[in-house]
Amino acid sequence: MTVVTAQRPAGRRVLRNIGLVALPAAILAWCLTDLSLGRELMQWLPYLASGFAMNILISLCAMVLGTAVGCALGILQLVPYRLVRAPIVSYVQIFRNAPHLVLIFATTYIFPFEIVIFGNYIAFPDWVKAVIGLAIPASAYVAEITRGAIQSIPTAQWEAATGLGFSRVQALRWIILPQCLRRSLPPWMNVLASITMGTSLASLVGVHELLHAATDASTAVRRLDFTVIAYVVVMAAFFALCYPIGRLTRRLERRFLPG
Amino acid sequence: MQNGTLTELFVRWTGKLGLNYEFLATGYEAQIWRDGFVTTIYLVLLLIPVSLLFGVLFAACLTSGKPWLLAPVRAFVEITRNTPTLVQLMFSFLALNTFVSNLLGGAQHNPLTPFFWVVAVVGLHVAALHAEALRAGIEAVPASLVEAARGIGFSRLEILRYVEVPLAFRTSLPAIVNNLINLVKLTTVGNAIAVSEITYASIMVWTQRDNVVELMLVILAFFSLLNFIVARIGKWVERRLAVPGYGI
Repeated sequence: MTVVTAQRPAGRRVLRNIGLVALPAAILAWCLTDLSLGRELMQWLPYLASGFAMNILISLCAMVLGTAVGCALGILQLVPYRLVRAPIVSYVQIFRNAPHLVLIFATTYIFPFEIVIFGNYIAFPDWVKAVIGLAIPASAYVAEITRGAIQSIPTAQWEAATGLGFSRVQALRWIILPQCLRRSLPPWMNVLASITMGTSLASLVGVHELLHAATDASTAVRRLDFTVIAYVVVMAAFFALCYPIGRLTRRLERRFLPG
Repeated sequence: MQNGTLTELFVRWTGKLGLNYEFLATGYEAQIWRDGFVTTIYLVLLLIPVSLLFGVLFAACLTSGKPWLLAPVRAFVEITRNTPTLVQLMFSFLALNTFVSNLLGGAQHNPLTPFFWVVAVVGLHVAALHAEALRAGIEAVPASLVEAARGIGFSRLEILRYVEVPLAFRTSLPAIVNNLINLVKLTTVGNAIAVSEITYASIMVWTQRDNVVELMLVILAFFSLLNFIVARIGKWVERRLAVPGYGI
C-alpha cells in the first residue's frame, strides 16, 4: 500500500521523468565519446532487439495464459465445496511461494522436447516451456488477486442481487466481476512487471532472449567496455518496459483509493 | 547405523511409488545436495539482516530532504526495482567483477567471490524494496510527533532512530515480510554464477540421475516451508511489536 501525498514536489516529478531518459542518454553519450564502441554496439543492436522481442513475447503469452487460468482458479477458490477448494488453495500456496527460476527449470526439464499428436511429431520449443513456467506463478498470483477482489465486494450486494432474481453465476458475471476488474487492475500490473522481469530467467535454460543475446555478444566481441555497455543496454531495455508499468500502477492505485 | 538404514528405507519406499531417490544412498551426490540446502539457508539468514540494514539506510536518505543524498539513492532504487535481478547480477559479476580484477592486477588477486556478488546484488535489490516500504511508513508518521521530538531537543538522526524508524517499521512490516519472501525466492539466481545453492546442487544431481520430478517435489516443498517460516516469524514480530492504538 502506498501512502498518498497530496501534492508531489516538482523536483521529484522532474527526477522521475529524468529516470526514463537517463540510461539511454548515458549509453548514447558513451557511444559518441568512443566511436569504435558505438559502431560495435550498432552492429549488435538488431541481435539484441531480436532477443528483447522474445522477452516481450514470453511475457505476453505467460500473462494471457496466467490470467485466464488464474481468474478461473480465483473464482473456484470461493466455491462452497471443500473438495474443489482444497486442491486449488494448495496449488496457489505452493506456486506463489516457489521461485520463478525453479518453475522454469521444472517445465524445461520435465516436459519432452517434442510431442506426438496423431502420429505427428511436433517440436516443443524451449520458449514455450518458459511461457508455461512463468504462467504457473502468474496464475497463482492472479488467483489470489481475483479472490481478494471478489471478497472485497460487500456481501450485501450478493444478497441484493439474489433479491432481484439473479442466480449466483449471473450475479458474479453482471454485478461482482465488473467491480473486481477495477480493483484488481493495479495488483495485476504488479504481476505483469514481475513476470516481465522474470522472462530474463529463461536465458538460464538457453532461450534466445535479451540477456542471452547480450552474453553472446559480449563473448563474441571480447572487450570489457562492450560487455559493460551491452549489459547497460539490457538494463535500459527492461527499465523502459517496466518503469512506465510501475508509474501507471501507482497512478491507478492513487485514483482508485477510496476517499 | 540408524541414519543409513532410515535413508535406505526411504529410498526403497519411494522407489515403490516410482520415484527415484537412489542418489541419497550414495555419499558424494547426497553431500552436494545437502550442502545446497545449507547454502540456501545460509544465504537467506545472511541476506535478511543485510537487506534490512541497507533498507533503513536508503530510507533515511530518501526522507532526509537533502537533494545530494536523495537523488542518487532514488536513482538506484528506481533502477533496481525496474530491472531483473538476474541482469543486475550478470552485470555485477561480468562487468564490475572484471573491473575490480583488472584494478587489483589479475583475477587471482580478486577477493570477491560469486557468493559475495549474490549477497551484494540480492541484498541491495531487496534493500531498495524495503526502502520504498519504509519511506511510505516514515512519511506516515504524524508530523506532530516529529515536531514534539524536535521540541524536546532530538537531533535529525535521533528523531530517525527513536521516533520515525520504530513507527515506520511497524506500519511497513507487512510489506517488509512480503519483500523477505521475495528474497528467499531470489536466492535462486545465484545459480547463474555457480553459487552452489539448492537449484545448482539439484542440477548437478539430475544431470547424472535424470530424476528432475523427484528433486522438484523436494525443492518446491523446501521453498514453501522456508516462506512459511518467514511469514510466521513476520506475523509473530508484528504481534509482538503492535502498539495499542497506533497504526492499522
